[in-house]
Amino acid sequence: MSGNEGKKAPYVVPIGPTHPALKEPVMFTFKMEGESIKDVDFAPGQTHRGIEWMGMRRNPVQIVHLTDRICGICGVHHTLAFARAVEQIAEIEVPPRADYIRTILAEFERIQSHLLWAGVAAHELGFDSLLHLTWRVREQSMDVIENLTGNRVNYGIVQVGGVRRDIVPDQHKIIEDCLSTYEGLLGKLLDLFLHDRSITLRCRDRGVLSRQQALELCTVGPTARASGVNADLRQDYPYCAYGDLDITAVLPDQHMGETRGDVYDRIVVRLIEVGQSCGIVRQCLDQMPSGPITGEEKLAKLLAICKKARGEAIGRVEAPRGECFHYVRMNGKESPEGWKVKASSYSNLMSWIPMLRGEQIADIPIIVASIDPCLSCTDRVAVVKDNSRQIMTKEELHRLSVEKTRRLSS
Amino acid sequence: MSTALTAAMIIGWTVVISVYGILVGLFLLGIDRKLAAHMQARIGPPLRQPFRDVRKLLIKESVIPANAIPWMFNLAPIMALASSLVILLYLPAGSVMPPLGSYGDLILVMYLLTVPALALVAGGFASGSPYATVGAQREMVTMIAYEFPLAIVVVAVAWRLGAAGLAEPFTLTTIASNPIWSVVGPLGILGILLLLFISAAITPAELSRIPFDTQEAETELAGGLLVEYSGRNLAMFYLSQGVKSLVMGALVVAIFFPWNISTFVAMPATVALPVDLLFFLAKVILVLFFSVTLVRVAMARFRISQVIPVYWTYLSVIGLVGLLLLMADTVIPLAGVGA
Amino acid sequence: MSPDTVLTAEQVPEYFRERFGAGVKETRVTERREGAKRNPNFNIWIDLDRELLKPAILALMELDYPHLAVISGTDLGEEIRMIYHFSIYYGKKHGEYTVSLAVHVPKTDLSIPTISDLIPGAVFTEREKQEFLGIRVVGIPDNRRLFLPEDFPEGVYPWRKDETGVPDSMVKDLYMSQRPTDRPAPPAGEKELCEIEPKAEPAPASSPEQPTEQKEVKE
Repeated sequence: MSGNEGKKAPYVVPIGPTHPALKEPVMFTFKMEGESIKDVDFAPGQTHRGIEWMGMRRNPVQIVHLTDRICGICGVHHTLAFARAVEQIAEIEVPPRADYIRTILAEFERIQSHLLWAGVAAHELGFDSLLHLTWRVREQSMDVIENLTGNRVNYGIVQVGGVRRDIVPDQHKIIEDCLSTYEGLLGKLLDLFLHDRSITLRCRDRGVLSRQQALELCTVGPTARASGVNADLRQDYPYCAYGDLDITAVLPDQHMGETRGDVYDRIVVRLIEVGQSCGIVRQCLDQMPSGPITGEEKLAKLLAICKKARGEAIGRVEAPRGECFHYVRMNGKESPEGWKVKASSYSNLMSWIPMLRGEQIADIPIIVASIDPCLSCTDRVAVVKDNSRQIMTKEELHRLSVEKTRRLSS
Repeated sequence: MSTALTAAMIIGWTVVISVYGILVGLFLLGIDRKLAAHMQARIGPPLRQPFRDVRKLLIKESVIPANAIPWMFNLAPIMALASSLVILLYLPAGSVMPPLGSYGDLILVMYLLTVPALALVAGGFASGSPYATVGAQREMVTMIAYEFPLAIVVVAVAWRLGAAGLAEPFTLTTIASNPIWSVVGPLGILGILLLLFISAAITPAELSRIPFDTQEAETELAGGLLVEYSGRNLAMFYLSQGVKSLVMGALVVAIFFPWNISTFVAMPATVALPVDLLFFLAKVILVLFFSVTLVRVAMARFRISQVIPVYWTYLSVIGLVGLLLLMADTVIPLAGVGA
Repeated sequence: MSPDTVLTAEQVPEYFRERFGAGVKETRVTERREGAKRNPNFNIWIDLDRELLKPAILALMELDYPHLAVISGTDLGEEIRMIYHFSIYYGKKHGEYTVSLAVHVPKTDLSIPTISDLIPGAVFTEREKQEFLGIRVVGIPDNRRLFLPEDFPEGVYPWRKDETGVPDSMVKDLYMSQRPTDRPAPPAGEKELCEIEPKAEPAPASSPEQPTEQKEVKE
C-alpha cells in the first residue's frame, strides 16, 4: 500500500491542539511509518481554567456553581460529587427525595451524554447521517432536562444538602414520554450502530485495550467495562438512590458473548447503558419518596454550617464517562483548605497510548473519541501570564468578544 | 475548413463549455447538498450555496504556506480545473455531439480523468504539510485502486459494440449514438447492469466522496490534500470538483443512457436542443443521486487499507463477470443485434 | 492471606496495623448512608509514614488489584498531605471501599517515591503533583509537565499556599477589563462597571465578591 515510500525514518504528524477530529483541544504527536502509528504522545492542558485554584478561594455554596461549569456535559456529576463530599464533612443529612431527584438528573445526563457521544463517534467515522439522527433524538432529553431544571446545560440544580427544584407530578408525563421514545428508538440505534457493515469494518478489533492494561492504567467507566473490568460505582458503591435499585454493570460479553475491548465494545456498552438509564429513571419515578428536597433551605444557614465544618471526605459518583472523584478538606474556614477534582477522563487518557499504537491514521479519530474524552473536565488549573511570545491575553480576547457580541446584538 | 476557422471553433467551444461546465457543476453540487440534507432530516443550504461559497473564496486571501513549493502549489488548482474542463470537450451533452469528438475517444477520456487527481496530488505534495502529504499518498492509492475497474467497464462496452460490427467503437460519438442496450441479448443486459453498478461505485472515489474520501477525510486529515489551500486556489479546486461531478455523470450517461427525447419525439431542431440538454441534465442528476448522494448518507468512511480490496477484489470480480457475460452474449446468437 | 477472602471495612485498617504496626499513625472508617434504604458505603482512611507508602500499596494489592483514582495533595503549611486514593473490591455488589493512604511530606524534603512501577497509570497524576505542588517524585518515568503551559514560570506551584503559590500579579481580573477606547462606540449602551477593589491578598475568608456579580461579561 502506501506503507513504503522509501521513508526510513518515521515522520511526525501533529494532531491538535485543534483539529476537526477533536471536539476539545489536546495535542497529539504521532510518529508514523506510512499509514501506521509507531508511537504516540499527547499533551493535555489546553483548556486550563484554574478551577481548583478558584475553588480554594470560594465557599461551598459558590463552588457548586463552579463545579457545574467544570464540564458542559457531565456538570451535574461534578456538582453531585462535590456536594456529597461537603455533606459528609458537615454531616448534613440529605432527604431521600432529594437523592431520588439527583439520581433522575444524573441518569438523564447520562442519556444525553451517551447519545451525544454516539453522534460524535459516527461523525468521526464519516457517517454524518447517523450524527444528525442521534443528535436529533438527543434533543428530547435536553428538553426534559430543561423542563426539570430550567437549563439545557449547567443545570444549577444540585446544592449542598439537596436539590433546588422539585419534580412535580405534571412533569412525570413529560419524562415518561421521553423514556418511552428512547426505549422505542434504542433497538433502531443498536441496529444502526452494531449491524452496519461499514461501522463494523471500522470498529471491530480497532483500538484494543486488554483487561490487564485497563486495570493498570486505572481506566474507569464504559472504557473499562468494555475491556471487561466489572466496575460501576452505581453497582459497587451505593450513593444517592442507586443503593435502593438493583443495578448491574453493563459488560459487552452480556450482549456480544465475548469481550474484545475494542472500539466496537465501547459503542455497545454506551448504547446499552442508555437503555439501562431509562430503566433507572423509571424506577426512581415509581419509588420516589415524599418529603423535603433539601436538608437546609436557607443558604445563609447552610454557609454557617459549612464554615464550622472540619475534616476531609470523598465524593465519588459514576459520571457518564466513569468515576468522578472529589476530595474536599475543610478546616473551619469559609473555603475548602484542599480540593482535588478527578474527572472521569483524567483516568482514561492514559489508555490512549496502548490503544493507538500500531493502528492507522484513519483510526485515530474514532479511537480518540472512543474513550469519550472530556478534556475540559480533565484540565482545570492554570493562570495564564503572557510573555514576549505575542500571546493574546485573556482580557484582549474578552474585550474583542464583548465587542463582537454587541455588534451582533445591535 | 481552414485551420484558422477550426482553431476559432475550438476556442469558441472551449469558452462555451467552460461556462456551462462551471455553472452546471456548481448547480450539481448544490443539488447534492440539498438532497443529502433532506435525507438526513436537515433543511440544508439553498441551491445557490456553492455559488456563494465560490464568490466568498474568490475574495479571500490566498495563503501560500512557508514551506510550500509556490509555483507547483499555485499551478495545481489551475491544472485541476483546466483538465476537468477539457474532458467535457470530449463528452456528448444531450443531442450536442462532443466538439472534439473526432479527436479523441473513451481511452483518452480515461487518461484525462486521472489528470485532475494528479494535479491534486501535486498540490498536496507541494503544500509541505504532513496532512496533505498523507492525503496525496492516499489519493494515489485510491487512483490505482479504481483505475482497473474503470478500464474493465470501458473496454467491455467498447468491445461489445465492436463485436456488434460497429466501426470505431471507442469513440464517444459511436457509443452515444448506439445505446449499448440495443445491441445485446438478455445475458448481455445482465452484464451491462453489473458494469453500471461498477461505474456507480467508481464515481464516489473519482469525486472523493464518502465512503472513499480518505484523501480529504475531514476528521482524520482536516481536509487532507486541500488543507493548506485557501482563497482563489481553493475556489478553483472547488470548481473542478463541480466540473468533475458533471464529467462523471456525463460519462456514465454517455455510456449507459445515451437516449435523447428528440429521437423518439419529432420536434424542430431549435426546440430539440434545449429539451435534450435538460433531459441530459436530469439523467446526470439521477446518476449522481444514486452513485454519490445516496451512498454518501448511508455509509461510513472506509480506511485506505480497505479501499484497495474493495476495488481490486470485489468490484473487479464483478466487472470481469460482467465482461464475461458480454462475451458469452456474442457467442450465443440471439436476436437484438441491431444498430 | 488468600486472595478470595473479602475483608469487611473494619478489617482493612486492622490488616494494615498488623502489617506495619507503629508505622500506621491513624486509621478511620467513615460510613455514609444515602437513599431510601440507607445502604452504607465505606471510606477507609489510613495515615502512614512516608517510607511505608510502597509496602502499603503492595499489601493492598494482595487484597485486590486496587484502582487508583487520583493522588490529592493539600498544603498544610509546614508539610504537604498527599493522599493516594484507591478503591478495592469493585465488581461486588455494594462491596467497594475507598482506601485512602495518606502520607505527610515535609516542605524541607519534598520528595516521594514513584508508584508507577506498581501502577503504571499513576504517572499521569504524579506529573500533575510535580507541577502543582512542587513535589519531586523520585524515579518518575516521565518528568515533563502535564497541564501547565510551557511559558508558566518555573518555581510557581498553583496549589501551594506559601510564597511559591500563584502571586497576585498573575491573577487576571477579567471583570475589570473595559472596552478599548480607540474604536467606534458600540450600538448598545455601555454598562456600568461594577467597582470592586482588587483585594490586597487573596484571603479566602470573607470574600465580598460573588462570581455571579460579573454581569459585565453577560451578553
